[in-house]
Amino acid sequence: MRVRVVCTRRKTKPMPEYQIVVCGSVVPDPLQTLEPVAGPAGPALKNEMMLPAWLDPWAGHALYEAANLAAKNPGSKVWLVALGPKAKLQQAMMTLAQKVPFELVALDGSASGFTDAAETAAALAEAIQAIPGIDRSKLLLFGGWESASRGAGATMQIVGEILGITDQFQGVDGVGIGVDGSLRIIERIEGGRHQVSICEAPPVLLGWATGGLPEPRNNPQVGMANMRTIMPALQKAKPAKIGAEGVTFQSVSLPKQSRDTKVVKDMSPDQIATEIVGWITNK
Amino acid sequence: METILFLSPTEAGSPLSKNALEALATTKQLADSLGTTFSVGLWGDSPKEEADGIASCGAAKFLAVTGPEFAQPRYATDAAAAEALAHAAGATIVIGPSGSRWNRILAGVAHRLGGRADGHVTGLSVSDGSPAIARWYYRQRMEGILSRTQRPWVLAVESGIAPAWQGSSGSAAVEAIACATPAVRSKMTGIESPEADQQTIRPDADLLFVTGAGWTKKQPDGQVKTADAEKLILGFLRLARASLGSSKSLVDLSGEGQATLTFLTHMNQVGQTGSTPRHAKGLSTCCHGEEPHTVGWRFVGERRAISLDPNCGWSRGKADVLYVADAFAVMGKVNELLAQKAVA
Amino acid sequence: MDADVVCVGFGPASGGFLTTLSRAILNEDGSTAIESPSAPGLPLQVLCYERADDLGFGVSGVVTRARGLRESFPDLDPAQIPMAANVAGEKFLYLLDPIGASCRPALMRVADGAIRAMGGILGVKDDAMELPWTPDFLAKHGGLVLSIGQFNQWVGQRVMGAGTVQIWPASPVGEVLVENDGVVGIRLVDQGVTKDGKSTDEFMPGMDIHAALTVVADGPVGPIGRQLDKTFGIPEGHHTRDWAIGMKFVVDLPEACELEPGTVIHTLGYPEPEIFGFFYVHPNRVASLGIFVPSWFDSPARNAYRYLQHWMLHPAIWRHVKGGRLRSWGAKTLQESGRRGEPRLAGNGFARIGEGSGSTNVLTNSGVDEAWTTGVMLAEGVLELLKNKQPFTAENLEAAYVSRRRKSWVDKDGRIAERARDGFQRGIIPGLIGMMTTGLTKGFLALPGKSVPPHRRVPTFEEYYRGRITPEEIQAIRKESDAKGISSHAALMERAGWPAIPFDGELLVSHQDALLLGGKVQAPAGYADHVEFVYPRDCESCGSKICIEMCSGQAIFPGENGRPSFDREKCIYCGACLWNCSKGNPKDSEKGLIEFHAGAGGLHSAEN
Repeated sequence: MRVRVVCTRRKTKPMPEYQIVVCGSVVPDPLQTLEPVAGPAGPALKNEMMLPAWLDPWAGHALYEAANLAAKNPGSKVWLVALGPKAKLQQAMMTLAQKVPFELVALDGSASGFTDAAETAAALAEAIQAIPGIDRSKLLLFGGWESASRGAGATMQIVGEILGITDQFQGVDGVGIGVDGSLRIIERIEGGRHQVSICEAPPVLLGWATGGLPEPRNNPQVGMANMRTIMPALQKAKPAKIGAEGVTFQSVSLPKQSRDTKVVKDMSPDQIATEIVGWITNK
Repeated sequence: METILFLSPTEAGSPLSKNALEALATTKQLADSLGTTFSVGLWGDSPKEEADGIASCGAAKFLAVTGPEFAQPRYATDAAAAEALAHAAGATIVIGPSGSRWNRILAGVAHRLGGRADGHVTGLSVSDGSPAIARWYYRQRMEGILSRTQRPWVLAVESGIAPAWQGSSGSAAVEAIACATPAVRSKMTGIESPEADQQTIRPDADLLFVTGAGWTKKQPDGQVKTADAEKLILGFLRLARASLGSSKSLVDLSGEGQATLTFLTHMNQVGQTGSTPRHAKGLSTCCHGEEPHTVGWRFVGERRAISLDPNCGWSRGKADVLYVADAFAVMGKVNELLAQKAVA
Repeated sequence: MDADVVCVGFGPASGGFLTTLSRAILNEDGSTAIESPSAPGLPLQVLCYERADDLGFGVSGVVTRARGLRESFPDLDPAQIPMAANVAGEKFLYLLDPIGASCRPALMRVADGAIRAMGGILGVKDDAMELPWTPDFLAKHGGLVLSIGQFNQWVGQRVMGAGTVQIWPASPVGEVLVENDGVVGIRLVDQGVTKDGKSTDEFMPGMDIHAALTVVADGPVGPIGRQLDKTFGIPEGHHTRDWAIGMKFVVDLPEACELEPGTVIHTLGYPEPEIFGFFYVHPNRVASLGIFVPSWFDSPARNAYRYLQHWMLHPAIWRHVKGGRLRSWGAKTLQESGRRGEPRLAGNGFARIGEGSGSTNVLTNSGVDEAWTTGVMLAEGVLELLKNKQPFTAENLEAAYVSRRRKSWVDKDGRIAERARDGFQRGIIPGLIGMMTTGLTKGFLALPGKSVPPHRRVPTFEEYYRGRITPEEIQAIRKESDAKGISSHAALMERAGWPAIPFDGELLVSHQDALLLGGKVQAPAGYADHVEFVYPRDCESCGSKICIEMCSGQAIFPGENGRPSFDREKCIYCGACLWNCSKGNPKDSEKGLIEFHAGAGGLHSAEN
């Protein structure tokens, strides 16, 4: 009797190809002095247009993580959807474009911290839905867990809701891909610890904290390649009217410098140590 | 007239956290100021236990979503439960405690309810019969006080607004609220903690100890003393049971291959992209006291600094006392004295 | 990487060049007007590389007649540019010495005495006498007060907004690429190296960009300009021996201040006769104010920051700023040789514009408008050559650019100014007389004086302080300062009678604290040190070490074995070290022992 031996090659799952959409905007350079002023449309920053603009730091971490993930999963693509004043976006792009490869979707509107997250989120979600070829089964929606301007931690959640993504993670410091394509995500929780979760598959939303990657060096070649899409994207940036409807600010103020610092110059280290120990142990 | 709801997730086997009890007290205060009542909404595996713990808080109603699927922190199930509770209460103002579990969902929940969310609320007041919140903008550099017309208004309140609610437990009349289990594609699988002796972040510590880049720079004798610095810093944390914070520059140095402190991570960073921890006291060492860092000290009470530069940022109103001295010498002696006290 | 035109540096000169060029690349309907020879089918490919972290970081507040600027922007409204204002009023103050520590020549002391005696008649107020008129050659009526940082940002935004030019910040150019007696492009600086230039795991060699035309606009201390000088030589008889450091504060003026935006005040006489001062008022009660410390101010302890503070404390200045707040600070080197410092303006594949091309007018003390205009003229020449499909050879650029420049007001005024400062080589009074003479005779007459390289004229400490501080005391002070790792100027100045600065944390702050204002000085990682001591052993035996005294950021400080050390994190790229070396270079008598290369970082503020 002839025995037919059938070999079945186990199908290895193809490497996932992700569509990573990163939302992030510009914030004023944190090294500058920031002061609020009352504007006709509500509070604003003094000399806002004079302040140098950089990409929000957490959005930056999200972007670098996105690029890292895309590099490890060939066929993946990264978009940056950025809503901000066009001139400021342009300024920030010249530095950011040198860091990692991405395609820009630009919206021309206010990135002030005093605008409402819901209005920003609506504009971002609309722009994301309009990206040609967006496929929910490949979609990873990244952003910062909050911004260095508004600091609300709200925008990404609302974008996720509008897009129907209910697998959302915030304060993310890392994501790993399992052999079955599932995502292993760690989120910051209380006490310096991380919560570990597994999500079966995209679509998923990650609001990043700092992640684990260092800031990429400026690479002029990456910059030049990025410019091919960034320049046109800036040129055709759609205007987005962003405000804070329904919100009334009673006041925006700088904290009073209430401390009258005592500068101690003439005590020996031992004397200082004694004083400090007394202060620490005194409840 | 507002309909106020206090919302909190619960953790099986644990009573409501201090943060949650403070948020409860804040809710009660708001309701009293507005001359109205409030309800309590809880969700989790067995929220009845936590409800009983706060039975005498004066809530008009206790609502709960119960089920094992609602036990773990997870967006899909937490948001569904919170939405169901807010909906059932007909809430116009929803207050929850700021924390990773509530912060993860509050804006999404507000969106589902057709309202708006504000997180990191540091103050709640009433003017002209209308509630207003205080929150910080631009990384704690400026404080805004604002009110909204949209409802429901969903809030996450930080600790420090009102003292934690205290009262006797009892038997709460809990109304079960139905909540359809949403399609679940994620699950929590565990918690990662640093090793016990590596644990340098202690949110409940009395004292925040901040290290700046000066610890790893060349000292006046021209030497870099990273090993000594490590010993002094870890020693102090252990003896004082303090929490460790750091400036961004020191945390970043490890990314540049420089001699650095091995136990420091981005998690320790205070200010800039780091945290804004709450502690009664803070001691800064070898740090220049520049604004991007000191904004992270917003919620630190008493502040002292040790720096060799008498004109650094700390000297200009940012600290109560600036000791112009060598931190290596001072901290060495501090550790010695603390060790003596411990033995005594 | 191939492009058609590549620019080194983005300042007023590149601003003029790129504004003019970018407007001509596309037609109004967006179609290509000038096709790229290197990338057919695409418009002209124009790239600009700037070393600072962002456009407009790190340069200084200025007053300008704005002739060239207004030609390029006929509808220019200062309200469009942050911190800009039309010049509203100008005055010239002669400052007397209220302290008595100033080192004044005898004639000046006599004049001071007379002025004080006739104070009532002469209208002396706050220890200063206002000159009855501003000489025409200095006057800036019809001009603009600007923040160069804001102006550069504004220009950059407009240039890039047109979509045809890319201006890359944080991209220092390390060298031009030279082939067959011509320039074929540039090479960016290597990254991922240690401070002494050794590769690490993250080594990234600087990218090469080839272009038919390299436009060098890297300013008076730009290393690329110096590389071109070394490679292709400079015109006979030309030199760059005269310099100044311009250092200034940006101040939020007190509420009580009544100075109108556009007010311009020039000063001379204090804190030392050689030091000129300026005070320009921007809108919203902000002012740029500061001093120029020239290379012919022969003190080895000529620390600009300390002198700036004393100047600001002078009653005639202090009355305007007291109660205000320091907002920002910066410094830059100015090329004071003017037209005499003009290098080869063009060669095969390259052209030079801006201050590094000797366009600064040393009689009228203006440079921005001139730099801008040289950029415009080069662009006009380039457009002509492109239209006629002619290559960028030395000959063609001479015809299209250099000859244009020779016929322009920039060159004409520059020739008038050429000898204006020669008198200062002999002293302050001959210098002032010389300048007035040259100005009033429109360049016909001048007081002669021969320039020598800075290291040949700067005296030793002992020589400078003779009669005021004994050599033994000087030695003791230097030894103590060395041990502390700091410069000696503060102790020496105080010993010579200057009072200590009363720090108030508002207007008067320590030098290091000034570096933290307006956006701290930054030094991105992965770059080598850009300041190099070429023969460190020679530095060991150097008595003066004026590099330490003069460093604007205190980035150069006493190191081991008597060698100076350099801390990149404090360097603001002012370039003072380039001309503040008390020893000559044995291989090039025009130079000192410090090389100043390209690097990233520095001042991190566009408020300057």
